Amino acid sequence: MIRRRVLASILGTAAAALVLASCAGGGSADPASSGTGAAADPVTLTMWTRSVTATQSQALVDAFNAEHEGTIKVELTVVPFQEYLQKVSAAASGKNLPDILAANVIDGPNYANLGLWADLTDRIAGLDYADALAPAHLASATVGGKTYAVPHVMDASALYYNKVLFRAAGLDPEAPPTTLQEVADDAAKIAALGDGIGGLYLPGNCGGCLAFTVFPSIWASGGTVMNAEGTEATLDSAEASSVLGIYHSMWTDGSMIPESRNEDGSTQNTAFESGTAGFALLGSKALGTIAENDKLEIGVAPIPGADGGTSTFVGGDVIGISSTSKNADAAWTFLSWTLDEKTQLDIFAKAGFMPVRTDLANNEYAAADPRVVLFNSLVADGQTPYSVRFFQTFNDPQGPFLSLVRDAVFGDGPSTLPDNNAAVTASLQAS
Amino acid sequence: MSAVVLTRAAAPAPERPAPGRGSLRRALRVLGLVGVLVLVVFFVGPALWVVWGSIRNGGSFSGTNYSRLVSYGEGLGIYLLNTSVVVVVTVVLSLLVSIFAGYAFARMRFPGSKLLFVGILAILMVPHTSLLIPLYIWLDRIGLGNSLLGVAFVMVMYQMPFSVFMMRNSFESVPRELEEAALIDGCTTFSSLWRVVLPAVAPGAVTVGLFAFLAAWNEFVTPLILLSDGNKYTLPLALVNLVQGDWGMIDFGALQAGVVVSAAPCVLLFFVLQKAFVNGFTNGAVKG
Amino acid sequence: MTTTGAVAPPRRSALRSSRASTARSRRAAWRAWLYAAPATAVLLVLFVVPLGLAIWMSLFDWPLLGRAPELNFPENYTSIPDNELFMRAVGFTVRYTVIIAVVLLVLSLGLALLIQESKRRSSGVLRTAFFLPVVTGLTTAALLFVGLLSPSAGPIDDVLGWFGVQVDFLGDPTMAMVSTVVMMTWRFAGFYMVIMLTGLQAIPTELYEAAALDGASRWRSLRSVTIPLLRPTLALSAVLIVTGGLVAFEQFYVLTRGGPDNSTVTMVMTIFREAFSQFHLGAAAALSVVVLLGLVLLNVLQLRLVREDDGAAS
Repeated sequence: MIRRRVLASILGTAAAALVLASCAGGGSADPASSGTGAAADPVTLTMWTRSVTATQSQALVDAFNAEHEGTIKVELTVVPFQEYLQKVSAAASGKNLPDILAANVIDGPNYANLGLWADLTDRIAGLDYADALAPAHLASATVGGKTYAVPHVMDASALYYNKVLFRAAGLDPEAPPTTLQEVADDAAKIAALGDGIGGLYLPGNCGGCLAFTVFPSIWASGGTVMNAEGTEATLDSAEASSVLGIYHSMWTDGSMIPESRNEDGSTQNTAFESGTAGFALLGSKALGTIAENDKLEIGVAPIPGADGGTSTFVGGDVIGISSTSKNADAAWTFLSWTLDEKTQLDIFAKAGFMPVRTDLANNEYAAADPRVVLFNSLVADGQTPYSVRFFQTFNDPQGPFLSLVRDAVFGDGPSTLPDNNAAVTASLQAS
Repeated sequence: MSAVVLTRAAAPAPERPAPGRGSLRRALRVLGLVGVLVLVVFFVGPALWVVWGSIRNGGSFSGTNYSRLVSYGEGLGIYLLNTSVVVVVTVVLSLLVSIFAGYAFARMRFPGSKLLFVGILAILMVPHTSLLIPLYIWLDRIGLGNSLLGVAFVMVMYQMPFSVFMMRNSFESVPRELEEAALIDGCTTFSSLWRVVLPAVAPGAVTVGLFAFLAAWNEFVTPLILLSDGNKYTLPLALVNLVQGDWGMIDFGALQAGVVVSAAPCVLLFFVLQKAFVNGFTNGAVKG
Repeated sequence: MTTTGAVAPPRRSALRSSRASTARSRRAAWRAWLYAAPATAVLLVLFVVPLGLAIWMSLFDWPLLGRAPELNFPENYTSIPDNELFMRAVGFTVRYTVIIAVVLLVLSLGLALLIQESKRRSSGVLRTAFFLPVVTGLTTAALLFVGLLSPSAGPIDDVLGWFGVQVDFLGDPTMAMVSTVVMMTWRFAGFYMVIMLTGLQAIPTELYEAAALDGASRWRSLRSVTIPLLRPTLALSAVLIVTGGLVAFEQFYVLTRGGPDNSTVTMVMTIFREAFSQFHLGAAAALSVVVLLGLVLLNVLQLRLVREDDGAAS
């Protein structure tokens, strides 16, 4: 009868637990999260943010809640970034968006267009420092002349190089390349070191990463990637062709690391950290996360164009008040507080994050690390591409942009650009 | 119960008379052992890598992967508690639903049974992705939105094809004679189910419970979509947040520590439940 | 009261035509439905209603927010053949399903038999070893393999390097599929092994003894005792594996992301993309309905084949 007793005891424990569980379930029905109560009650705001910006968001929320104890409380929920759109679309279709909704800056036009956010145009105009808010971010949240979100977290792309390998290859570690062609030449010299050392590591299987790292070279060369409305791709231009041509030659002559072709963005830091890559194209955030070691000394330079010039992709997140929120005023109190000079300096700059205001780029904290100053100054020349179908066209692993880059770099070369560019345009224009 | 004999005969392990050619036999034996070894390495190797990686950081031993995990977000304790609520409800309800339904399908003929069975199997055939938005809207409507109970109910539904199919098979493999004997002894259908047949299907029930546990414990997408408050998150959600890291690079150290922490209770449970399996395996079935 | 020697299954539904009155059979049916009531409730409330909503959505151009849904039936359905990604995914998904079904069924039955034949002590060790991966979630398992197979983060590349071998696990269409099959085998073989064991242990040992007395070889008794009596279990496993294969998602979504160059895109990945990247909720729902219909048809056939002589509910 052992078996019966085992089963009986399992069922017994389970039943006891069910009682517990139903209590817990009942507890969750408590309406604490529904916000607006009597005037005396503090307003509770819900806020969602992508996991990639969890650190900044949490720091802001903690400081804000401490300062506004008893009046406004922000409850932050961090959502895995790969599933953010999924989560937001489910919530939107159930009309259950949080009060405060952050988004990848490239999704700004999309969110605004879908009507997920409330119009903030007048509120922003009322800020003393409205002109200083990262212009690329504001532009990405503007549709039909109305602005729906403010900058939240700032990021920019740059060329990272390994000074240890520079020295080993006889290159000057303090004189990084200033044209993409020079990057290719230096990468070839570093790759010639052999012994598992490679020239350049490219996130070659990640559309979003490639936009982040290849677009700047095209911009720096004087080209564009789309028309201003984001409805027409221009990746068959001479500039795009020469930039991708240089990458193609790096691939065919072996100065690009073979694993580049498979890199989906999730292991590129590890690859650079291992000290086997001369160059990598990464965001500002990598500076704080990649640990230097005896095989790696990090140098940072602006991403150059084919024959000179520099640019960057201004990335990061924007944040707005959801169109269904009933606490818009309290939510704006939070948003405007995050943009305050004191907040930006004490919470962002102090921790090494880029401020979202151009007037605060040169601050005492940044001055301590010339590489941070470099990032802050890059933003002035940087761009954020604008299209309501940006994610669907450029970030989607099954989207046409990834095929375009892969064919041009790993396949038959830039001759494939015209056909693929047409596919990108078709995706930009799809409904 | 008098007519029922529960044999506890020793395992049969049919002794095969050794055919004379010893060296060939030995060669085959060695070959077999190597094969088994390869299998064990294949299944256990990645687990060893996980454990090893979880206790290392930057080339030396360190507990930082674990300490990051313990202090992440609302704290590991909250996530464990939330996950436990989902798991317990899922296991209990899965057992309840599948034991009764399995019995009905195996032992009773009733109009509509085929339709019901195909309906239950159809759950397997709808991609979870397709049901997420309708489920989200519907659960919200019936007051189960953003609740752990709602997640558990959905898990019971996802597990139901397996649970019911499994219990039906289990009941079918119990000889009818066993039950008939009990009925002759004056038991009602219900008490014969409870006292005679249920012990015989215990291995099946344990399997159902175990896999309901594992499914609910590890589920990622359902709680992600259905739960909107960070303090209701289950362990896998917190884990993926941590692993996707600050900057979208997979944090393998955190992943490995997370896998160890989330797998430990499951492995432990399997160890405990093995007893139920072992009884079943070595004693053979209940015989009438 | 002994079944020894009888190779036929000892269950066998009582199909004898009953002379019982209609009232009695109605009462029996009533009682049966009572037993099936909890399952029916779960099915209706948590599956049929949401599924109905999904079917309803498939008739509309269904926006995320803002404007009201617009009826556009049958456009979501008629545009499916134009969805090149989906049409190609059908072929790939079927190919993957056939491979994973054969690999998993054979291997898990083999593992179960190996454990059944092992001595008591080693069988416990082996069972735990094979079962170990089952405790990880599918998403987690896929992430682990991203690490294992990564040249920069994982050990496999280094180990192969000692032998001078280099394999591009995820960069080649065939290898990407093979890597995924290996990952799924690692994750699921132990699961189906346990199910097979549960089925095996229900086979009365007398049948083996009888077969042995008749001088049957191991292979013979596997074929004429084990396999036939394991049929319900094999049916369960086959249904789970085949349907699971046809609705495969996470394993590819995480491990290959459909790459390289869209060579490993499954049907559900295209549904996911349609819904959560393109926001075409109606079109995604229509694809789901088509996939569902295909699977129901396939499974009805499959069950009929596997359990053709079984009069009970199937």
